Amino acid sequence: MKVLLVAEKPELLSELAGFLKDLESKAGPVETAAFTAAPSLDEARKFSAYVAAKTYVAVAERVFPDQLSKAALDIVDRENPDLVIGVATKTGNEVVARVAGAKGIPMMTEIVDVEARDGALLFHRAVLGGRAISVLKPALPAAATIPARKYEVPQPGEPGELVEVQLPSSALSLVKVEEKEKGGVNIEEAEVVIGVGRGFRKKEDLAMAEELANMLGGAVGCSRPIAADYHWLPEDAWIGISGKKIRPKLYMAIGISGAPQHMSAVLDAKVIVAVNKDKNAPVFQYADYGVVADLYQFLPVFIQKLKEKLGG
Amino acid sequence: MNVAVFVKASLDPNMLRVDSSGRILVEDIPLAISEYDRNAVEEAVRLKEKHGGKVVALSALTWGPIQKRVREAEQVLREALAMGADEAYLLVDEALIPGNPYTTAGALAALAQKVGEFDLYLTGEGSMDTLSFQMAARLGEALGVPAVSYARALEVSEGKARVTRDLEEHLETVEVNLPAVVSVTGEINKPRLPTLLQIRRAFAKPLDKLSLADVSYTPPSAAVEVEELRLLAVSRKNIIVEGTSLEEIASKLVDLLVKEGIVK
Ligand SMILES: Cc1cc2nc3c(=O)[nH]c(=O)nc-3n(C[C@H](O)[C@H](O)[C@H](O)COP(=O)(O)OP(=O)(O)OC[C@H]3O[C@@H](n4cnc5c(N)ncnc54)[C@H](O)[C@@H]3O)c2cc1C
Repeated sequence: MKVLLVAEKPELLSELAGFLKDLESKAGPVETAAFTAAPSLDEARKFSAYVAAKTYVAVAERVFPDQLSKAALDIVDRENPDLVIGVATKTGNEVVARVAGAKGIPMMTEIVDVEARDGALLFHRAVLGGRAISVLKPALPAAATIPARKYEVPQPGEPGELVEVQLPSSALSLVKVEEKEKGGVNIEEAEVVIGVGRGFRKKEDLAMAEELANMLGGAVGCSRPIAADYHWLPEDAWIGISGKKIRPKLYMAIGISGAPQHMSAVLDAKVIVAVNKDKNAPVFQYADYGVVADLYQFLPVFIQKLKEKLGG
Repeated sequence: MNVAVFVKASLDPNMLRVDSSGRILVEDIPLAISEYDRNAVEEAVRLKEKHGGKVVALSALTWGPIQKRVREAEQVLREALAMGADEAYLLVDEALIPGNPYTTAGALAALAQKVGEFDLYLTGEGSMDTLSFQMAARLGEALGVPAVSYARALEVSEGKARVTRDLEEHLETVEVNLPAVVSVTGEINKPRLPTLLQIRRAFAKPLDKLSLADVSYTPPSAAVEVEELRLLAVSRKNIIVEGTSLEEIASKLVDLLVKEGIVK
């Protein structure tokens, strides 16, 4: 079997190498080639050592998905891989989907596991808002993306042969780029996460959640609208299938309805507490302890009781 | 300006049904318009209000059984019509069930080409059931036009679209010549809720059903088999903390967190 790894940044090759190692442990040795865009050949060489295989490199600082996919298609035609694998970033998913579209082959987005069963490769992925797993058996050739930051980076080996390729032009032209604000909190590592949702009426009110988080030695996270729509918190606080997945000891969901796209990312929490004024809110199905109350009335009282406990 | 908007009749992840072994009972889960496709319809209608032209809503039924599902898929398109789309078309064909981006994209592109000429093709960034995030890219390939993903702002003028793409680390504004495919995020707008009158009027608007033969499209033979589909288990205590006052409830919750070893 032959695999082509596709990366929009050379660093991603090291994660893809982690996937490759897992695949080989299950399906036996595979032949590999890689393609990456990189700011320089040296960067590409450094990371090509992780995959220890022939690496096609397009030297570029900023690339659009259509440029990468066109270049990748030429490489697919040269290498004839059975699997094209990328990383499930927004760009990675798009590049691989374009390659799959142009080649007329299936693609499985963000596979969480691979399994070899009766001589066939099965791919697991999360569907239905992240609440269910589907196990897929594609005919090969096929394409897939792996979750970012999932696979342990293996020890680098020898850099592979580098083959420089040119990028075609893009149908898009750049007007401007604005960096996003970063919060500097790491909810993925926090032992306690206080999750805030649209039950909060204004940004200032999040102070209550901050206070709780401080008292419990935790961090504040949020549902998608709080970060992406209202910008009350930076996007690194966003919990869910399109945000962060967390596994704290305590997750406290306050004014969050409990959409599957949010809750599927907190299923590994040890204890889940939900505060919602609607007793029928789906969030209670995911909770160990539920409080049916208006958060504006409940939180001040809860903070007070917690202070008493922690103080004495 | 004519806009085609692709909407999916998705399994509603808020209404999952399973058997005792955790196997998902697909046929028992209701279909609903995929969350972000509603944003795509809203954006299409706003463009029409600004620039004139028409909005055509397109969908393919990708969940069976057909007999039972056609009405649900029509309902999804009626919703788009109520929001302001002018016409709707639904592809219904056994060969598209169960759906998969690989078979659906080609079929939808063929449908769009059959029913009109469009300056812009809109869809949601990803569907709420299969979460594949492939449609815009595949539609772009199938239609032979540029595709721009993750739009959180969109303006159209003089044959060009200016799109602000919402990426992980930054917002990237780009320009592209039309026609193009654009996928929108849930943040691009607030979808309108149609009035009762608009809902009633939607029934007078054209909604046609077509087969793959009608759009002259042969999908690639089903190349992905679904071996299993099961719910991720959730087992929680599901205790509602009760009391006669908020003070009592708050104290009980503090005690529970102490017992769990979280508050020390
Ligand atoms: C493809 C896709 C990806 C998505 N990815 C994500 C994701 O990564 N993360 C995510 O969070 N969402 C995601 N979503 C969106 C998700 O479906 C929901 O829309 C979102 O999670 C809702 O956020 P919320 O719970 O804050 O708001 P709402 O659903 O509006 O819930 C607010 C809740 O607050 C309660 N409330 C209101 N006032 C009070 C009060 N005074 N006191 C107590 N309770 C109160 C209400 O009863 C309600 O239950 C995604 C959707 C799709 C389709």
